[in-house]
Amino acid sequence: MASIPSSSSSPSPSQPKARKKPGQTTSPPPPPQTKWRTGTQERLYSRRLVDALQATRDRAQPPESVGSRAVKEAADSALAMTARGQSRWSRAILFNRNSCRKRVLVKAGGKIRRHRRKHQAIPPAMEGAGATSGVLKERKVKERLKKLGRIVPGCKKLPAATLLEEAADYVAALEMQVRTMRVLAEALSAAAVSVPEEEEMEIAEQGS
Amino acid sequence: MDTDLNSISYLSLNYDHQPVLDHFDSALSSIVSSPSTAPPPPGPTNSLVIRELIGRLGTICNNNKSLAAGGDHSTNTSCYSTPLSSPPKSSLHSIPSMNPNSMPFPPDQGFTERAARMSCFGSGPHMAVSGQLSRVSSSQSLMDAGMTGGAQLEGELTVQESGGGANNGRKRKAGVKGKGKEASLASSGTANSKMSEEDPSAKRCKPDCKVGGKKGGVEEKNSNSSENNNDDRENKNENDSDNTDSKLAEPPKDYIHVRARRGQATDSHSLAERVRREKISERMKLLQDLVPGCNKVTGKAVMLDEIINYVQSLQHQVEFLSMKLATVDAPEDCNMDNLLRKDMHQACDRSMQQAVYPSAFPYPNQPQAGPLNSLLTANSISNMGMQPASNLPFDGFGNTSAQIGGFWEDDLQSVVQMGFVQNQEGALSSQSFQGSGPSSSDMKIEL
Repeated sequence: MASIPSSSSSPSPSQPKARKKPGQTTSPPPPPQTKWRTGTQERLYSRRLVDALQATRDRAQPPESVGSRAVKEAADSALAMTARGQSRWSRAILFNRNSCRKRVLVKAGGKIRRHRRKHQAIPPAMEGAGATSGVLKERKVKERLKKLGRIVPGCKKLPAATLLEEAADYVAALEMQVRTMRVLAEALSAAAVSVPEEEEMEIAEQGS
Repeated sequence: MDTDLNSISYLSLNYDHQPVLDHFDSALSSIVSSPSTAPPPPGPTNSLVIRELIGRLGTICNNNKSLAAGGDHSTNTSCYSTPLSSPPKSSLHSIPSMNPNSMPFPPDQGFTERAARMSCFGSGPHMAVSGQLSRVSSSQSLMDAGMTGGAQLEGELTVQESGGGANNGRKRKAGVKGKGKEASLASSGTANSKMSEEDPSAKRCKPDCKVGGKKGGVEEKNSNSSENNNDDRENKNENDSDNTDSKLAEPPKDYIHVRARRGQATDSHSLAERVRREKISERMKLLQDLVPGCNKVTGKAVMLDEIINYVQSLQHQVEFLSMKLATVDAPEDCNMDNLLRKDMHQACDRSMQQAVYPSAFPYPNQPQAGPLNSLLTANSISNMGMQPASNLPFDGFGNTSAQIGGFWEDDLQSVVQMGFVQNQEGALSSQSFQGSGPSSSDMKIEL
């Protein structure tokens, strides 16, 4: 994948929306591709990832078994941090680590809804009524937008434009995360492979 | 003359709104800005007003001609929204007859155009006028077929309308486009050989009204009078009274200036709607670039489907990789460090433009420091070069967990400035480590 030369490498805290304050001199936000593909970002993220992994391992219970879920969450938190909290999903990730349960409890008034209501039953019924193709298409699009909102963290109830923006940023960030983690995993596994070999060799030498 | 005036007045007054032209005095503007009301019965006062109007129209016509490129006209023909009832038609018919006779003032030709244009300064949902307008022009053109004046009128029509169409009041996005078009139109108008035909005149009326945007499409439309009616109706919908007011004053307003596109309704609601839709399509295009394989797909629903699938697959990949990372050993070894550095080098070189890693790190291996730690230090060093802002307390590689926690805290505070760092760490530590990780000897992880 071609890496675009960093137009704006550092994710400076400039607010992206120029139209909110026309007077501001901040440049418009870099598109997600360029923003998340700069070398700086990758290094930043890899560093943070390493940090996080070490922290996780340190905190791992004595059996030294690190859960993959913990690793994933650490990786996600690292990613969110690298985003510097400029995007909604990053803030959602960072904040929801804490009070995941609490939020649900507060929201549901003490009752935690385990099962999401089947909203899918309703649209088909309505589709019979409003059988215009345009309406159907709109509904499809809306459904998918909602689904996307559920997938991207912290974007459940967003208007379409913001949601799409967040999704673009999230996709770019995820791509970077996958790349970095893959490299890291390969490196570590390669190292792991080489070390046992060395150990075996050492043992063999000692033995002989 | 009286008949002329009356008819003119009828023409102008039958429209609910009087046009507001920049060059007009406040009297006119007041007349124009009034929302659609019943047309005032022609009377002496009205005729006076009419004469004034006519005079002003004359001046305006002249001015507009000269200022066609200036683009200051709020005399927008884009608002053919005043309802032209049937009488205007007759009056209009009479007008062309008047033309050769006695329009005392040179701007006659311009006037009819003006009068026609007055009709369009109506607000909102007056549909009838547009059709009438086209009819006006067409009738005029018909009448003018035999008259030179008519030809000129057509030319005037085009010129003035193009001048008026130059600026849709507050809707000013690409004035250049409109102006360019008007210039061409004007030139074509004046040089006209087709003046006498309906279609060109109608064509010219329309384009002038709808400035910017879809010129080609509209011109096609313009060829059909029936379609013209529809288009005019749409044009009429363009301008609310607010628009006329704003055109009057032409104040620099704070909101986003959106150019009303040709053949599209331009009342405030649909404008906002269009802006919103454009934003959404913009973002969809961006996503399209990001997500591979979306170029061939058209349509929002399918594209969104693709995007959703892609995001889900990415998330699965992350999960898988995290599982892999969780199971990987991290033995402490110098070779490991070098290996990792090399790998990171390769990865970085692949994906990044610069290779920043120093070749050797002459620091001892801490018992806790493992390959990850060396990675960390390497990264930190390079990062410090790149981002002086993110200053880490990089103390001699003595990486204790506390220090790592410190890194977290610094970053967190710099980013979020909230006091949830402790919570963060607490959350991390409180993570229930699932026993899914393989607990074989491979799992011995030392850092």
